[in-house]
Amino acid sequence: MALVSGKRAAVGTGTAGAADGFAAVGYRLMTKVLLIEDDSETAEEITAELADRGFDVEWSANGIDGLDRARSSRPDAMIVDRLLPGMDGLTVIEALRKDQVRTPVLVLSALGAVDDRVRGLRMGGDDYLTKPFALVELVARIEALLRRPVETRETTLHVGTLELDLIERTAKRGDRVIDLLPREFRLLEYMMQRSDQLLTRAMLLEEVWNYKFVPATNLVDVHMGRLRHKVDGPGETQMIHNVRGAGFILRAGP
Amino acid sequence: MREPHFIRSSTFRRALAVAGMFAVFVIVLFGFIYWQTDDYLIARSDKMIATQLNSIAGLSGAQQTDAIDQHLKEDSRGVQYAALFDADGRRIAGNLQQLPPELKMNDSVQSISVVRMFPAGAQARVIRAVGRRMPNGDALVIGRDVDEAREISHVVGQALALGLLPAFCLCLMAGAWLSMRAQRRVEEVNQRVQRIIAGDLRERLPHRDVDESFSRLAGIVNGMLDEMETMIHALAGVGNDIAHDLRTPLTRARLVLERGRTNATTLEQFHAVTDKAITSIDQSLAIITALLRLAEIENSRRLAAFEDVPLHDMLREVCDMYEPIAENKNVDLRVEVKHRSSVRGDRNLLFEAFANLVDNAVKFTPEGGRVDVELTRGDNETIVRVIDTGCGIGEREREAVLRRFYRSDKVRSTPGVGLGLNLVAAIVKLHGFKLVIQPGPGGRMEVICPDRSLG
Repeated sequence: MALVSGKRAAVGTGTAGAADGFAAVGYRLMTKVLLIEDDSETAEEITAELADRGFDVEWSANGIDGLDRARSSRPDAMIVDRLLPGMDGLTVIEALRKDQVRTPVLVLSALGAVDDRVRGLRMGGDDYLTKPFALVELVARIEALLRRPVETRETTLHVGTLELDLIERTAKRGDRVIDLLPREFRLLEYMMQRSDQLLTRAMLLEEVWNYKFVPATNLVDVHMGRLRHKVDGPGETQMIHNVRGAGFILRAGP
Repeated sequence: MREPHFIRSSTFRRALAVAGMFAVFVIVLFGFIYWQTDDYLIARSDKMIATQLNSIAGLSGAQQTDAIDQHLKEDSRGVQYAALFDADGRRIAGNLQQLPPELKMNDSVQSISVVRMFPAGAQARVIRAVGRRMPNGDALVIGRDVDEAREISHVVGQALALGLLPAFCLCLMAGAWLSMRAQRRVEEVNQRVQRIIAGDLRERLPHRDVDESFSRLAGIVNGMLDEMETMIHALAGVGNDIAHDLRTPLTRARLVLERGRTNATTLEQFHAVTDKAITSIDQSLAIITALLRLAEIENSRRLAAFEDVPLHDMLREVCDMYEPIAENKNVDLRVEVKHRSSVRGDRNLLFEAFANLVDNAVKFTPEGGRVDVELTRGDNETIVRVIDTGCGIGEREREAVLRRFYRSDKVRSTPGVGLGLNLVAAIVKLHGFKLVIQPGPGGRMEVICPDRSLG
């Protein structure tokens, strides 16, 4: 798992296509991520994957050391395991928040405590992921935390030729008016705010529908299929891309 | 030397304490009887000597001497004392050697020490006596030996020895027996429990058909063991089911990888193989995740995240979410709110439960059918009804569908993990609601939310 993103981009097909998007972002920012996780193998995989995506990863195996590093090296984002030797993950976050450190934090936790999510978010975590998780989900969420859309007064969103009027609730692609149902409008709005960013199914469910649950059917795919059918007309360049095994990306180009 | 085991047992110690208390009580009782009887006898004899004094004092000089002699002669037990002394203290008649100097001549009966004359000599005695000075200066003394008291104490002592000692011993023996018996039973229970711990789930505690606390306790524990045995077997069954359900995708992954390793020649082919393997592994993970979540919800007691959840909005959202799927299948999905109603609950879990019900309904309804979601009120309860025109759930299957991994033969071909209704049931139970499967035609699921539910 020592592939650097450059090599991977060179051979990129299939799932690696997603890596291209991340890699571009990663190179541009050279973002620093602090990972506090006690299981060394998990940490190794996460570190390698994030390094592939162009992140600069610092790893700490316990809470006390993690808190020190968070204070000294000022990372752009943090991934914190819930259960840590030395100091509990939530305590680390709480301590940081008390110091007015606003670094976005993704909390990791093993299954077995439903309340953990609520508590994790209450303690100052920004997002929550339960183990076992897919690496691609972790990266997508870190990306999302790092690139949270800025609050703007813009009432129209633009991605390529796609245009969304938030006041009139209308959508256009070039001159073609797209007729959207309210739920499709919400979905497209969310995706346009996060264009060029991989959005996983779980993220879409949580953010667009505002529910955290595991649907029995491929719900999101059906909704996305309908939206794509409307957004990408016949003969037009595809804008909504399905990344296999991961999620969806809205991109201006192909 | 170690004291015998039973002596340390609390049963024996209690028996010992009871025996001790019993002995003290009996001794006090006997003492009281002795004291009362003694008092009574002394009072009686006091009265007798006072009467005799009066009767002898009422006689004239010579008659007094005769009366005293007569009186003493009639005393076969030798307990009577009588004597007449002249003014100078010389004895005129009777069996007292001399006038006791401490005797007060005031007609009151006193305990006093005297010297009695026997034909063989003299002997000192303590008796009850009364004295009176006659008008002519003579001193008349009448007395009585109260050795009855001594006899009584002797009798009481014997009674004590005869009654108390055996009773005390009996108490101790009973205590020792009870404690040894209890210990034997505890030991027996311990041996069986050890066998249960060692894994023999069929072992039970000894139980006798008598209404006795030990047997009742054993009965209760056995009942618990029965229940646990059933549960463990059920769990083992679930384990087998899980193993089976996990094996399928894992076998697929293994086959794909194995064949891919030999056959894939290009990177594209290799990617395709990996994707297939990942999909299969994800499926197994999904099963494990679903099971863990289920266990988590079933075991959780959380009410902390409970809030007021407006069901009318939630049901509309559920249907909005599933509409495209229903539409793709040409199933008519409708929601009808007859009554706006909120319940207390966890909105994510409740959404998941209703989404699962609607998901099932849509999945099992054939093309061209319809699914109705209704929100109505019953007596002090809110009812969510999901009705579909699918095959429904047969009466015999109604319990089975709530079992893990159960999939009706009718729908075996439809994809799914087979945990959906379990999850619904667990969530509904967590909220204190009720899941009812109504008889068809078609599927009719009801979630009944009582107004005074948990929280």
